[in-house]
Amino acid sequence: MKKVLHYYNVAKEVALVTYKEWSAYRTHSMISIIVGPVYFLVQYFIWTAVYGGKETLNGMELQQMLRYFGASALIGYLTMDFADWNLQMLVRTGKFVTFQLRPVHHRFFALSQKLGHRVLGLLVEFIPCFFIFHFIFHINMVPEYIGWTVLSVLLAFFMNFYVNYCIGLTAFWLVQSSGIRSVFQALASVFSGGLIPLVFFPKYMQKLLFFLPFQYILYVPSRVFSGSYSLAGISMKIWQIVLLQGVAVVITMLLSEILYRKSLKKFTAAGG
Amino acid sequence: MKKYIILYRESIRIAFAAASTYRADFILQSVIIILSNILFPLMTWLIYGAGASFEGWTLYQVLLIQSVFTMSMGVSSMLFTGIVWSTMEHVREGTLEIILIKPVDCMGYLLAATFSIENIGVVFGGAVLFGVALFHLPVPNLFLWFQFLFLFLLGVLVMLGINLLMAATSFKWVANSRIPELYQSVLRFGNYPQKIFSKSIQAITSFLIPVAMVGFFPAAALLQKTDSKMYIAVLPCILFAWVGIALYKYMIRQYEGVGG
Repeated sequence: MKKVLHYYNVAKEVALVTYKEWSAYRTHSMISIIVGPVYFLVQYFIWTAVYGGKETLNGMELQQMLRYFGASALIGYLTMDFADWNLQMLVRTGKFVTFQLRPVHHRFFALSQKLGHRVLGLLVEFIPCFFIFHFIFHINMVPEYIGWTVLSVLLAFFMNFYVNYCIGLTAFWLVQSSGIRSVFQALASVFSGGLIPLVFFPKYMQKLLFFLPFQYILYVPSRVFSGSYSLAGISMKIWQIVLLQGVAVVITMLLSEILYRKSLKKFTAAGG
Repeated sequence: MKKYIILYRESIRIAFAAASTYRADFILQSVIIILSNILFPLMTWLIYGAGASFEGWTLYQVLLIQSVFTMSMGVSSMLFTGIVWSTMEHVREGTLEIILIKPVDCMGYLLAATFSIENIGVVFGGAVLFGVALFHLPVPNLFLWFQFLFLFLLGVLVMLGINLLMAATSFKWVANSRIPELYQSVLRFGNYPQKIFSKSIQAITSFLIPVAMVGFFPAAALLQKTDSKMYIAVLPCILFAWVGIALYKYMIRQYEGVGG
């Protein structure tokens, strides 16, 4: 219990400091209040035109599609992460050594930072955009199952963090991992379902996506939000897909720990 | 003028030399840039693959618009985008004086010095897509090609204006690396047939922030889908670029060199 309390206090303090630090740059985040609705407007016109007289496309109605894009934009604000960039910068500059001297696991520290950063995102990105989508665009942005959606978004938050942390860890081998980061981000933007729902991909690709981390970051929480899930012709109940998402998060977390331990053996603290 | 041509030639030479020195990085960066620029054509391909379409537009017609947009983005990224990041950095650091004391125009120097060879891949990728799309469409005559070229150059001019506006914004909105997102979000409207948008948005994208000229109008000229709006938009495009240049120069005059 004492240990849990200690971790809680560390997380709270780190999150608070990160929140204060980024509050000074809150206009960075506030750009989303313009960019988010503009992107959504483009999607609105594209899909309204694409549906034309059609009732459904790949099992999704127009309203479902618009809700999907609204939800994915909002979820993106809550789960956004750049732990990979931070970590590779610390390794490249040799500053990571300072974390070896602290009585806290760097991954826990980074997770606490993300928590503080995303609380700011909740206030200056999520909430304003929620109201814009809901009241100006008249898209129903209330989740079908609030509890499951919150849980799924929380898992997506962890998934995005652990995956990015693993990408950041590659800096221990490569020193400069910006290339890997960019490739991963390009793949994630397509295969997480941010560009187009994954049901539009070829069937073999949809099947493959069950074994990759991407869909658990955005597609799954966005579909949980709208109350139904299907991919590769497989329909799942909400609790089933959230459970699968949870399993994927645990596997990724374990992978990040294994990689972390291997990484430390490579660390020279010399920078590069 | 001769001074700037020499300056530009030297900058291109340096960019090629740097690219050949760091070949692996250059290839990797080029591949990444190409990948992130083919996302819209991929989305279109998936939409049409699902049996849906934009009414009155075939898959290859839409891909033609997006290939022209990609080429235009590639050209502008090579020639103009560097000034945005460079200005942002100089203003943040308070080091623009180093450029201002040089015996050349600050804007001209930064445009030349930030020539980015990595983006040649985008132009190439766009050109391949353009060729594929055109292969499946009727062959345009010479007049249509002239129209296309004229409108494409105007689109590049619009991109110059957009980049200079972004750079000018960074004088006041110091160290905000998300400024480009603000402008890029509006650019997305130029990637699709304008008919899918409402009349008011069409008016904005044609005359106020003429992003339709970046992709749609030149492609529509090749497809013989021209209308009077395209030619009326010529003047706003020139005006837009002029506003970008004028605002950038004005911001340089206002620059106080305190950093941020």
